[in-house]
Amino acid sequence: MKENILIIGGGIAGLEAASQLLKLGYNPIIVEKSDHLGGHVAEWNRLFPDMTPAEDAVARLVSGTTEANIFLNTEIAFVNRLKDSYNIMLTNGISIITRILLFATGFSLFDASKKEEYGYGVYNQVMTNADLERWFNTGYDERIPEEGPEAMGFVHCVGSRDEKARNSQCSKVCCITAVKQAIEMKQKFPQAMVYCFYMDLRMFGKKYEDFYISAQRDYGVRFIRGRVSEVSENIDGRLIVKAEDTLSGKPVKVTLDLLVLMSGIVCNPGICKTAGQLSLPIDSDGFLKSRDNIMDITDSSKEGIFYAGACTGPKTVPETLAEARSAALGIHNYILNGMK
Amino acid sequence: MIGMIFILSYCVIGLVRIILQLPKEDRKKFFISLVTPKTIAKNIRDIFCDCLFHVKLWKRNKLLGYMHSSIAFGWFMLIVIGHIEVFLYVPHRAKLFYYPIFFRYFVAETESTMRGAFFFFLMDFFLLMVLSGIFLAMFKRIQSKVFGMRRTTNPSFLDLVGLYSLWAIFPLRLLAEGFTADISGGSFLTKSLNYVLNSFLSDHTNMLPAWWAYSCALGVFFIVLPFTRYMHIPAEILLIPLRNAGIRIKNARKGFAKAEVYSCPNCGLCIDACPMGVMKTHIKDTTVYLNRQIRRGNEKRIEEISDKCLLCGKCTAICPVGVEGDKLRIAQRSIRRYALNPDYSNISTSLLPVSDGNRDAVKPAGEEKVLYYAGCMTALTPVIRKAMESLLTKAGVRYDLMDKDGGLCCGRPMMMAGRLDQARQMIDKNTEIIMSSGAHTLLLTCPICYRIFKEKYILPGIEVIHHTEYLARLISDGKLKIKKDDARYVFHDPCELGRGCGIYEQPREALSFAGNVVEAAKNRKESICCGGSLGSLTLGFEKRKAMTENALSNLVVQSPDVIVTACPLCRSTFSRYADRPVEDIAEIIDHKTLIS
Repeated sequence: MKENILIIGGGIAGLEAASQLLKLGYNPIIVEKSDHLGGHVAEWNRLFPDMTPAEDAVARLVSGTTEANIFLNTEIAFVNRLKDSYNIMLTNGISIITRILLFATGFSLFDASKKEEYGYGVYNQVMTNADLERWFNTGYDERIPEEGPEAMGFVHCVGSRDEKARNSQCSKVCCITAVKQAIEMKQKFPQAMVYCFYMDLRMFGKKYEDFYISAQRDYGVRFIRGRVSEVSENIDGRLIVKAEDTLSGKPVKVTLDLLVLMSGIVCNPGICKTAGQLSLPIDSDGFLKSRDNIMDITDSSKEGIFYAGACTGPKTVPETLAEARSAALGIHNYILNGMK
Repeated sequence: MIGMIFILSYCVIGLVRIILQLPKEDRKKFFISLVTPKTIAKNIRDIFCDCLFHVKLWKRNKLLGYMHSSIAFGWFMLIVIGHIEVFLYVPHRAKLFYYPIFFRYFVAETESTMRGAFFFFLMDFFLLMVLSGIFLAMFKRIQSKVFGMRRTTNPSFLDLVGLYSLWAIFPLRLLAEGFTADISGGSFLTKSLNYVLNSFLSDHTNMLPAWWAYSCALGVFFIVLPFTRYMHIPAEILLIPLRNAGIRIKNARKGFAKAEVYSCPNCGLCIDACPMGVMKTHIKDTTVYLNRQIRRGNEKRIEEISDKCLLCGKCTAICPVGVEGDKLRIAQRSIRRYALNPDYSNISTSLLPVSDGNRDAVKPAGEEKVLYYAGCMTALTPVIRKAMESLLTKAGVRYDLMDKDGGLCCGRPMMMAGRLDQARQMIDKNTEIIMSSGAHTLLLTCPICYRIFKEKYILPGIEVIHHTEYLARLISDGKLKIKKDDARYVFHDPCELGRGCGIYEQPREALSFAGNVVEAAKNRKESICCGGSLGSLTLGFEKRKAMTENALSNLVVQSPDVIVTACPLCRSTFSRYADRPVEDIAEIIDHKTLIS
């Protein structure tokens, strides 16, 4: 009989792990709380640095899991620990007995309305990175004028590297996402002035630096080093953004038609309950704690429980996929060793 | 005897020094107040109520009140009656003030007369009262919770000496009078003691040591008094007339501040009140320890304690003797030397224009004009400014915006940091802008600004008003029509608005038009600071978090749907950790206003 492996989360980590486990001859079961697979990536438009359509990437991952059991709109109701396995009750009434659980629960986007000074939910022209991607996909958002904005800005590090927002970690991908989105906006509206307000630009990945140089040289995106202090509205309904330019040491004030907040990656609060039932340790940043952050990143401290992807911290897409494969291999080895 | 001379001379020298340290105009004010009949009456009343009867403590906790007033009032009466006795029986000895104390030892009275029995009864009655107080005090050392105090101060060594000698005085007096009861007479207490313990007490050779022990305890108490917390007994008698004369802290260490520090009875009520108290490590940063360190002159600790405080003012609000913990701290901060002293006096007010609010207001020009100053904190919570502007428009009020396009800080943060010169520069600039705006009303949505505009600005002909007051007025004047539903609101009293400016009713009144107002466990004067205060210069983020969570749990005891406040800083601090919506009162009223 094929070994059951329960994968919590049908995002890219869950899908990739499932497809690898299928190839290794197991029976992965994916539990996904939303109505679609692919998680956050499915809601994105194009992926840096090669502008791969996110749709294609997700479609490829989904095609690898056609033989897996997938439950959409389903969550874990509760977990019973048996002698050497787990009895898991799902919200759709099905119960599953498995020796192995894989957490691919991903992350949440920071709720930008918590940074009140940026005016998300208060002013009509303020949106988040996710809202902008949705607009790239659907072409509909009333915050973006038909003829495009005259001037627009991106605010980096919204809710990440910010103690006051209770998230001191770096979200890793927003710097490059902002550069990508700035370029995309410039491609659509070449006349628009585009500003990026940043603390640091962390261009660590392959071809990221080229991207950044190109944004400045080829597209004329203005990078201002300094945090935005406050956003207000003028009498014509345009946004007045005040910030500090720390390179010139002067305060700056610009009038914009659109402001995009780069909401950071924060821990997924939805997993707390299940993690609590299994008494899995949570790290100080709120993400799940791996057994070891260098050697055993996909292992939990509990037997038979594995992690993949952004449930243990902010990750890029290729990193997440690599971890999913690594977790699948880890599970395979665990089962082989257990059978000895 | 020695103790008495020592303490009296110490007090007189201390009194003269404090009065001499007062600034000249304050000194004048003080002496004038001493001869003004109205303040004399107030002084006498306050001294009796606070020093003898401890009325404030009664209000707080009956047992605590009884403990203090029994000791203070009982002792006072023992002294007074003792003196009357001396006057009656041996008038020529009355000049010796030690005589009444040891009266029973010197004079053998008869209780054959009615008068004698009456005094004996009184003396014994008050002695019993004091003894019951002492007993309670001993009990309090073990179980302070019964007295409504979760935590209390850790007494210093000399405090303990004073404490034990105070405890010893009265039982020893009882014993000593018990010895003499059969010779010089006594009443229900001393007589019966003498009777019960006849075998021991009737032996008159034991009499002298008992009287000696009593007088030693008394002597020790008076000698250590100036160096212990019991210094508050004489100091408070000075503090009350000073305060009633309208004198305030001007110097960090001298004059009025000194009188306050010495009046601190080290009771530790402020320990439970302090919002920092949620963490044990901060107990030593409360006002009572600040006073102790100032008395000791420990500069390092004074600086540390003064900087850490949130300046929420709760210790001031509950202090039974009226020590102003927050103002004392600001005064300590103000004597610090800084390497850099920014100068704002060259900022040109012409760069800070007043911008138009609603241009198409229904009211014709010339009627009352409101100037809305949002302040820095409201600028960071734009939703409040938006709601307030929407309400002003709905009510048809003609208004201008003072700091829409660049504005100056109100000066309160500089004030709190003790940088009074810088605060003064901002006050002057803002006054200039306000006076030239032609407005009649200055509207504020931030209580931090509101307090300094109320206290430190001189704006003749302009009414300074907080939006809670203004909204309550607009609603009761019928300018805003509110739809009420059954939402449950709890109102958090911001420190600067409640304790700072005494505004408690108007926000609740305005809210009651929109829904049901429920109360927090501790509210109004006892409201707990949100933890986000600008007051503290050194308190870390993690530590504030614990305070915010504590304050939130206090607010939600009656499970309200929404936490409502009237301070942008409280709002953003709470919404970081709250499990339910946190809104400003302007947002609530704005949602519920019917557009006619």
